[in-house]
Amino acid sequence: MIQIQNLHKSFGSLEVLKGIDLSLEKGKVLVIIGPSGSGKTTLLRCLNLLETPNEGTLRLGNTTVEFGNRRKASKQQTLDLRQSTGMVFQSYNLFPHKTALENVMEAQIVVQKRSKEEARKRSIELLAKVGLSGKEDVYPHQLSGGQQQRVGIARALATDPQVMLFDEPTSALDPELVGEVLKVMKQLAAEGMTMVVVTHEMKFAAEAADTVVLMDDGKILEQGPPQQVLQNPSSERASQFLNLLTEKEV
Amino acid sequence: MDDRKIQIVIDSFLPMVKAALQYTITLAVISFVLGLILAVLVALVRVWKIPVLNQIAIFYVWVIRGTPLLVQLFIIFFGLPSIGIELDPFPAAIIAFTLNMGAYNSEIVRAAIQSIANGQWEAAYSLGMTRGQALRRIILPQATRVSVPPLSNSFISLVKDTSLAYTITVVELFQVAKQITATTYEPLLLYSEAAVIYLIICTVLNALQNVMEKRLSRFSTQ
Repeated sequence: MIQIQNLHKSFGSLEVLKGIDLSLEKGKVLVIIGPSGSGKTTLLRCLNLLETPNEGTLRLGNTTVEFGNRRKASKQQTLDLRQSTGMVFQSYNLFPHKTALENVMEAQIVVQKRSKEEARKRSIELLAKVGLSGKEDVYPHQLSGGQQQRVGIARALATDPQVMLFDEPTSALDPELVGEVLKVMKQLAAEGMTMVVVTHEMKFAAEAADTVVLMDDGKILEQGPPQQVLQNPSSERASQFLNLLTEKEV
Repeated sequence: MDDRKIQIVIDSFLPMVKAALQYTITLAVISFVLGLILAVLVALVRVWKIPVLNQIAIFYVWVIRGTPLLVQLFIIFFGLPSIGIELDPFPAAIIAFTLNMGAYNSEIVRAAIQSIANGQWEAAYSLGMTRGQALRRIILPQATRVSVPPLSNSFISLVKDTSLAYTITVVELFQVAKQITATTYEPLLLYSEAAVIYLIICTVLNALQNVMEKRLSRFSTQ
């Protein structure tokens, strides 16, 4: 479903991704962890081209894009990539001038050209799926953070993406609200959705991930099944980082 | 006030209101609408830093903001005939006021667009929207809410500034007051009457602004 080869990304003189190789099969869940500044969010944002890689190859679904030597994604490739992915943001980024229902309907009408009725029906289903039946006509600011994020998930699902991208979806939430969002994500994973999740939630990584990637300093430090990466990392640097997280949780 | 003065005020009221409707308000509304379209285009050119056009936009805003409206009006009406462009007073006024509004309002629109968090663009893009779709559906509706108070300000200023059009012989509200003064020798009375009519128009506009702000604020937390 996703294949990345030798991906590089720099912001000015700062190299944030230093050659990333990664692949993910359909229906699998990839969790990316790592210290802040390690490039994990940038890597995720490269997948739907919110950031343009400087070099490397990205294949997602049926779209293959090569970067470097003035090669970049065409407009159509960019739109294709974005339509085959759905993104959930750390700060939700819901549209404040639209109700929960309208947030979920928007892309179906504008991008997918579905009829209003069809979009409405699908949106009501999706809000029910994330546990927000009855909140259709509420504006984002009237919802709690956890509810907003669940609308964000419904909005991203509305265009029937092949891959869901989560950028620290629970980092901005009060601790008591984290659970409701993770629950929805686990449900999605169980239904066979292909997911890439950047998170600090180690419990989620352990329970829901098929593969865990530990990034550090723009490179992949560890990669493998969660038991192996989280409990039995091969490098000193990885154990240090994981210990730090465990200490924090105690 | 004696009967003669009262009669002058009454007699001049209708001609002044007629001039206000026919020229003052028409001039203001047309110039504002055209100016706003120009302003949005200029703002987008500047937000997206479109090469060449961006430099032209910066130059245009610099010139218009750095010169008096009265001078711009004179250049267009009295100056342009020297190079063969002769305009009637009304279209000349429309052009001058439109250019003026376009420059000032482009800064308002630009600030409003840039006040919308980048995450809104990103959310729209992540859903597969093009730049135009994101602008139309997501950014402009929010920017509109932000820009209603400053744009209202700008429109109210324009309504009053249309009085400058009397200098190029447009028969707007102030021109009528001036003409009646010339025959009755009652400047205090007639200019005050004109002032009251401007005040009434602006009070109505103020009320409209409040209605619009209320309607647009239904989704806001602040």
